[in-house]
Amino acid sequence: MDRRSFLSLGLGLGLVEMVSSPTVQAAQIANSSAISKPRSRASETGFLPNVPLITHNGEQVNFYDDMVQGKTVLLNFFLITCKEGRCPIAMANIRKVQELLGDRVGKDVFFLSITLQPEFDSPKALKAYAEGLDAQPGWTFLTGKPADIETLRRGLGFVDIDPERDRDLSNHIGMARYGNDKLDRWGSVSLRSSSANIASTFKWLSK
Amino acid sequence: MNTQEKLILKTMDLHRQITEAKLSRRDLLKMGMLSATTGLLLPISGLSLRSAFAKGGVDSTPVATSSPVSSGGNGGCPVPGKDIISTPTRPWIEELPRLVEKQPVAGNDPNNCDHGNGGGAPGADAVGTLTGGDCKIYCLHEFPELSKATPYANLSHQGWDKGGQLGNFAPKKWYETHVRQFNHVWHRDLPAGTTGQPAWGFDSVVPGPMFRTRYGEPHFNRIHNHLPEQNLGFGINQTSTHMHNLHTPSESDGNPLYPLYSGHYWDHHYPNVYAGVKQFGGIGDPNEALGTLWYHDHKLDFTSQNVYAGLAGMNSIYDAWNAYTGDGRYNGANNNFGKDMGDFGDETKGWRLPCGANYEFDVGLVFHDRQFDPYGVDFFPLTCFDGAIGDKMTVNGKIQPFMPVKQRKYRFRMLNMGPSRTYQWFLNNGLPFVVISNDGNLLPAPVLTKSFKQAVAERFDIIVDFSQYAPGTEIILLNRAEQTNGRGPTGKLLSPGFEVLKFIVTSDAFGVDESRIPAKLRPLPDINQPVSRSRTWKFERSGGEWVVNGQPFNNNVVSAEVPEGTAEHWTIINGGGSWLHPVHIHYEEHRYLSVNRAPPASTEVGRKDVIRLDPNMQTEIYMRFRDYKGIYPMHCHNVVHEDHAMMVMWKIV
Repeated sequence: MDRRSFLSLGLGLGLVEMVSSPTVQAAQIANSSAISKPRSRASETGFLPNVPLITHNGEQVNFYDDMVQGKTVLLNFFLITCKEGRCPIAMANIRKVQELLGDRVGKDVFFLSITLQPEFDSPKALKAYAEGLDAQPGWTFLTGKPADIETLRRGLGFVDIDPERDRDLSNHIGMARYGNDKLDRWGSVSLRSSSANIASTFKWLSK
Repeated sequence: MNTQEKLILKTMDLHRQITEAKLSRRDLLKMGMLSATTGLLLPISGLSLRSAFAKGGVDSTPVATSSPVSSGGNGGCPVPGKDIISTPTRPWIEELPRLVEKQPVAGNDPNNCDHGNGGGAPGADAVGTLTGGDCKIYCLHEFPELSKATPYANLSHQGWDKGGQLGNFAPKKWYETHVRQFNHVWHRDLPAGTTGQPAWGFDSVVPGPMFRTRYGEPHFNRIHNHLPEQNLGFGINQTSTHMHNLHTPSESDGNPLYPLYSGHYWDHHYPNVYAGVKQFGGIGDPNEALGTLWYHDHKLDFTSQNVYAGLAGMNSIYDAWNAYTGDGRYNGANNNFGKDMGDFGDETKGWRLPCGANYEFDVGLVFHDRQFDPYGVDFFPLTCFDGAIGDKMTVNGKIQPFMPVKQRKYRFRMLNMGPSRTYQWFLNNGLPFVVISNDGNLLPAPVLTKSFKQAVAERFDIIVDFSQYAPGTEIILLNRAEQTNGRGPTGKLLSPGFEVLKFIVTSDAFGVDESRIPAKLRPLPDINQPVSRSRTWKFERSGGEWVVNGQPFNNNVVSAEVPEGTAEHWTIINGGGSWLHPVHIHYEEHRYLSVNRAPPASTEVGRKDVIRLDPNMQTEIYMRFRDYKGIYPMHCHNVVHEDHAMMVMWKIV
């Protein structure tokens, strides 16, 4: 690679190209098992923190590495005991979206619902909740240490600038983020929108 | 491998790459990778220098780890100057670029729709030079996947037909625009130097070209989307180009629900009629003229990212040449539009507003704040629902540029392109601005003011007279509004404020300044048509979403159906939380009846299309819905709020 092409790519992009050059890749493979799969730029910013979590099936996972990396996902926060009744509506809506997307969920689209109340929402409780919703495979419910959940929530931007409103968990459940990690393309959609509308967002993510 | 080891590995990789790229020490210093004092490579945290939210190249493969720029800690909203400190750039190094003047496509027959390839094979163009095939009245756009069953596959251009209800407004001028990714230089001091970094632009410029159009000369613009098929980083490779705020039929308006996919085109038809065609005949009421418009991407959920990538430009529209007939009547319009009136793009006619030859003194200024990461790479805070606030002020795509000016009057068309910042403008010498328009629409009379606020999407035309200044005099345009997040200005006036643009007076020749600052400008049209109903719209944050009347945007819902030709009172309410929402209503302009139950300010008495809905504000507006039918949105023009989902769709039926 010559100097001109380095500059023409812009600094950051240039390095990416270089990092992916054969010699560097070899060096990476030799020196680090951590850098085995491509990671998105979103993951580099703390937007998708790689915090340890537990699924409703009791599996230990790392949020980015295991649940998001290279995938197309729908992400939302919820709590089993939602006081204003928005959670049941949002979650029932995701259930309808799952029906609309059919087999795609679990293959090329993954749903991730993260509890805002890890103190109460244990993996066992999440499992019962998932069964109550008739959630199909490809939809994972997640809990974890409160501090990790907080890191995740802030990273994903489910935050109110007003501290008092931020403490009210019901202020973080109206929206879902959807995105394609491979393309680094992220948007958001209201979970109060129609299920057809939510499902249609996935057609924007294929290329 | 621990963090330290990773860092070392990274540094070694970096060394190797730098060696391979044959970068000199000077290059490295320039790129901010080398410490000037120690001569050592800067310990760059994380294994990749790649910016998290940079505009991606087509071929770049995402790699690497860790967090060189963290936006996660602050609820996704990095605070400029604190969480994000853009690479230093020197002020007044870049010269203000003039917006590129858009040229029409030559050779099309205005009376013949079949101006494309003449029915032959694409490229065998017998009549005109548009690429992509015939354009017929009903041929709007190519869709790769939408069938005729979708509601917008069969849209036809309203008002194009001969003998149609709205007259024959077939295009007289034809344009073709290509949306592409290209390299743009925001400032030569950034590490990418004069090579630049990826951006998106209409005709590969940021901002896009300046269209100069005219009432009575309907125009046509075929917009091709050539954005990368495999796009990485912020932005989506689908567009919908909104012409803000022309009197445009719905199908050409650039509705967020009409996506234009990469590799395809959309045909926009702009009849260029004043509002009131049905009421007054001809081309409508010249007192309804617009003047300074802009166009920008409006893709659902992705407007903020796409506009930030560069998809915005300007359009000046001038009065029809025959706008007056000498007796104060025009095409049957019963108004007082007299011979000495009109904004013609000619400083010897009508109001004689500054223009000069080739629009030299009629200048578009596009203000846009941005963030760059510590490596100078373009950054957009994808995770932030509040708004994107930059620490670098650009004008016409350059950070803190200077503009040499001649000793005469200029008309500046100021546009706040966003995404989220509200400006409060001052001149550093304390002189007042001569404000002649708000939202592009000429006021009844010029207003002298030492300062004015400009929210996202608002336009202000001002006249500045440099004739009183000696060559070498420098005058700086200042923004003194402090703003650290998407909520709005804090209310504190910075002193001296942020320097945005420097005018440098020169002794260059300019011929004769024929322009005037007239005592009176365009009269306000009557608003005495009785209203048929009232509606209330409340803009607020609820449940972590931006909502209107408690509901986030739902593309299956039309929130209001308004009969064509009627008038209504709308009340627009800020639901609280100290947020500022610049509310934009597509299509016909509104008039303030009251702002917080008081009369509007002198700069806001005219026709507007953006309501700067300050915290706790309530405003009553008068709306009319004339001539065309179809769906239009109303939304917050803090485009981050719009995307998350502060918008409603309404319909003229």
